[in-house]
Amino acid sequence: MPALLVLFALSLYPLIFAARVSLTNSAGTFTLANFARLFQDRVFAVAAAQTLIFTAVALTIEFALGLGLALLIESLARGRVLFRAGLLVPMLLPPVVAAVAWRLIYNPQFGLLNGTLRQFGVNTSQLTWTSGESSALISVILVDIWEWTPFLFLLLSAGLQAIPLEPLEAARIDGAGPWQVFRDVILPLLKPTILLALLLRAMDLVRIFDQIFILTQGGPGTATETASLYIYRTAFRFSNFGYAAAMSFVLLAATMLFSRGLARLVRVR
Amino acid sequence: MKRVFVYAAAAIALVVALAPVYWLVTISLKREIDQFAYPPQWIGFTATLEHYVEAFSGGSFATYFLNSVILAASSTVAALLIGVPAAYGLARFEWPGNWSANIGDWILSTRMLPPIVTIVPLFLMLRQVHLLNSLLGLALVYTAFNLPFVVWMMRSFFEEVPKEIEEAARLDGETRLGALLRIVLPLVRPGLAATAVFCLIVAWNEFLFALILTQTETAMTLPVGIASQVTQYEIRWGAMSAAGVVAMLPVLVFATAAQRYLVRGLSLGAVKG
Repeated sequence: MPALLVLFALSLYPLIFAARVSLTNSAGTFTLANFARLFQDRVFAVAAAQTLIFTAVALTIEFALGLGLALLIESLARGRVLFRAGLLVPMLLPPVVAAVAWRLIYNPQFGLLNGTLRQFGVNTSQLTWTSGESSALISVILVDIWEWTPFLFLLLSAGLQAIPLEPLEAARIDGAGPWQVFRDVILPLLKPTILLALLLRAMDLVRIFDQIFILTQGGPGTATETASLYIYRTAFRFSNFGYAAAMSFVLLAATMLFSRGLARLVRVR
Repeated sequence: MKRVFVYAAAAIALVVALAPVYWLVTISLKREIDQFAYPPQWIGFTATLEHYVEAFSGGSFATYFLNSVILAASSTVAALLIGVPAAYGLARFEWPGNWSANIGDWILSTRMLPPIVTIVPLFLMLRQVHLLNSLLGLALVYTAFNLPFVVWMMRSFFEEVPKEIEEAARLDGETRLGALLRIVLPLVRPGLAATAVFCLIVAWNEFLFALILTQTETAMTLPVGIASQVTQYEIRWGAMSAAGVVAMLPVLVFATAAQRYLVRGLSLGAVKG
């Protein structure tokens, strides 16, 4: 099948190619130097840790909000279609455009956020959002939550709609309260959807690039440096392809471990 | 009372979701002196189209826009041409042992591959064959990355068509290809359209590959063009917001058209963040 050949050419072959690049030096001889360097690289450690924090925090909050919203919207008597369509907009935008919109909001001097806060008498001189060392990471996480909670909301509300009515009614007739119905009936039935949604989102979070590239370029300093950004910089600003390829293997391994682990975690519960 | 609370909460969520987008639109329509006025002007500002004219009349954004259109269209057509027969094969033919499932797993696993992992070798490979900074190179890459999704999505639609319909057609003297073209494809047409729409959106929104594989003015796509404005010292916010609005409109229109299949598309890997 031609499709399989193309897939091979663009998924496996690059990996083999990358392995070769990462394991040879400029003279073409075998070396492990690129992998050894990983263990001494402080920036790589920071980027890896921040990718992990970013993924864990954003995933948790997006899931909680997405589930809450799905339950909320599905319980509405009217206007469900309208709310659903409106809530999906952030996710559909080109990520670059979404990030541009947030630059207009976050700018400390003329941004919408500080402007609005000032209107309400808040002193905004300390609120630097994406340009502050300590607030930058949380600011980019907030953007991700805004942009991708709709994704979890959409998948989870589709899952909720697929739940048959009979067990819900049976539980209510047996005198179960709303919380009990949720915990003992809805949640178990929703589990496959939850797993899928979390897995898909987690895989995308680990690779986060576009929004941070536009919002902060990884700065200030290394405050929002993530694995993808650091690999990008290593390869295409410093032209160190071997080291970049070595790092991408670590990222690939981490992504696979992470999604496996997540799959198991959700299955046990 | 509870109902009021529920609607209020839903309305707040809606406002939070849409306000940043609305703000971007207003910036693109405001005169420069109003853009960052204090207090922020939500309504009642003097509207102007000068930023749209600035960005698209003869300016570089017109080129980027055209590039994006060409890329999205060509890679979608190519991915469908290769992917639809493959999906049909997976859905219909007998495969030895677990082949079908294994191929399926493999296709799905390509989605787990972080793009930054493949970009370094792809960049080096395309440089060797002189396809950097060319729309053709990028179109090849987009085709390849939309392909797993096309196969996966179309297989699910093919499997929904009962085999009996096809068998009946073949008893009436249709060849397998004839049955596929005249009977099955018309039946899966909505699914085919939805698949195409998602491919278009993915190619239209894509940023990382375009950023790295096209670095010249003539080959840049709309997202890369917008990004190159952002990283400059002096940012022309009006023109950039106008370009942003133009970049987001087609996506919203397309997504509305394919809304029925949005959940399936997302579950199978369309629209990546």
